[in-house]
Amino acid sequence: MKKLVLILVSLFILNSGFKIGVDTNSKMKAIFIMNFTKLIEWPASYREGNFVVGVIGSSPLYSELIKMAKTKKVANQSLEIIKFEEVNDIAKCHILYVSDNKSQDISSVVKQVKPNSTLIITAKQGLVDKGSGINFVVKNNRQKFELNKKNVEKYKLKISSNLEALAFSVK
Amino acid sequence: MNKRIYILLIFLMLTSSIFGQFIGKDHLSISLFYLQKTELDSAKKYIDLAVEDETLNTTAKSWYYKGYIYKDLYKDREKSNKTSPLRLSSIKAFEKMLTLEGKEEFFVSTNRILKYEASTLYNDAARMLDPANYKLAENSYFMFKKTMLLADPTIDLKSRDVKFKLALASMLNRPSETANELDSAQSALVKELYLEVLVLDENNPAANYNLAILYYNDAADVINNIDYDIDLIELDKIQDYCTETFLKSLPYMLKSYNLQYKRKETLVGLSNIYYGLIDMEKSEFYKKELEDMEKEY
Repeated sequence: MKKLVLILVSLFILNSGFKIGVDTNSKMKAIFIMNFTKLIEWPASYREGNFVVGVIGSSPLYSELIKMAKTKKVANQSLEIIKFEEVNDIAKCHILYVSDNKSQDISSVVKQVKPNSTLIITAKQGLVDKGSGINFVVKNNRQKFELNKKNVEKYKLKISSNLEALAFSVK
Repeated sequence: MNKRIYILLIFLMLTSSIFGQFIGKDHLSISLFYLQKTELDSAKKYIDLAVEDETLNTTAKSWYYKGYIYKDLYKDREKSNKTSPLRLSSIKAFEKMLTLEGKEEFFVSTNRILKYEASTLYNDAARMLDPANYKLAENSYFMFKKTMLLADPTIDLKSRDVKFKLALASMLNRPSETANELDSAQSALVKELYLEVLVLDENNPAANYNLAILYYNDAADVINNIDYDIDLIELDKIQDYCTETFLKSLPYMLKSYNLQYKRKETLVGLSNIYYGLIDMEKSEFYKKELEDMEKEY
């Protein structure tokens, strides 16, 4: 009996492990970004070549976007994910995600992308009033987004009415 | 001719001396005669007749010996049979005996045998804890409990219950620790077992920790498997489900933290759960505590 009790003890002390390789929040954001590519229209000159998503600063979202780009396209455009270390490095892209550690540089980012048709996406409270077109926010532990139409349309981007309806708030 | 008559006479004398001794004896007595001679098959035959007999089946003695003979048969024939019918018949006979007048005479011996039979049931339950036989293991454990309670109705088996349920849950959960995933039915069964453990012992650290991980992994799996093309209305529904599931996970992991169980893994757990809940401040808080702890070592 004692031997069997030992077997039972050794069995029950085994513990489960966490699912590794799941960045739950980055996956959610990547899905939002994929949706934005469908609900926003870029000028005709942006509808050829690769569809470029830039990430400035360091964010786990970059790795998730790389993963997404391996299997997904935007219409018939291949997805290309580029990482920029500094504001001056930012090149022409369809979407630019401003990482948390670069959010204080939002004004410089806005100036840098001005000549292009770029959707600026941020994830910091208040940035939707400082030049960001879409700002990720968290409401009741859920990922949502704020939309600033002016900050999107000034880059010659057209917003679908569906996107407005899905936004947590529209300015 | 004479020789043949002598042989016949000798044969008749021998047979009458064997069967003659049973004349006027009841089936119980005959069964006990064979039991003494360890002729178990004959003992079984007559004890089965005895417990069918209206004059004998209300006596504790008949049922005691039925239990006794079947126990001996189990030991002799079915000890390696983890679902031995002989053992079950023996226990049933003792159970019946314990309801009858005159049971007191057999109490001590019955308790000893029932405890022996219970121990074999417990061992067999432990041996059958594998994915193919766990239902039989559960049955065997159920019978172990029933048998122990027959032997001692006041016995507290709570800690045994906890151990068995934890062992069963851990065995069923093992595929999730390897490349295989648990299907939703298995996952629900494992969760149910951990919840049952917590009903018995709300501070059980392993049950709290493992339950937290099961809920977390459920939500993480759902998120991991979402197609990037899913629309935002559908994503909202998935977020609702996942947030609720992360929130289910949280109290169990917090309990594990308060119980100081597997501190490192629990800190990783809390950081991950809060990350899933997009509460980055709290996620970072536990991540930092983990880093500080690792620096100490």
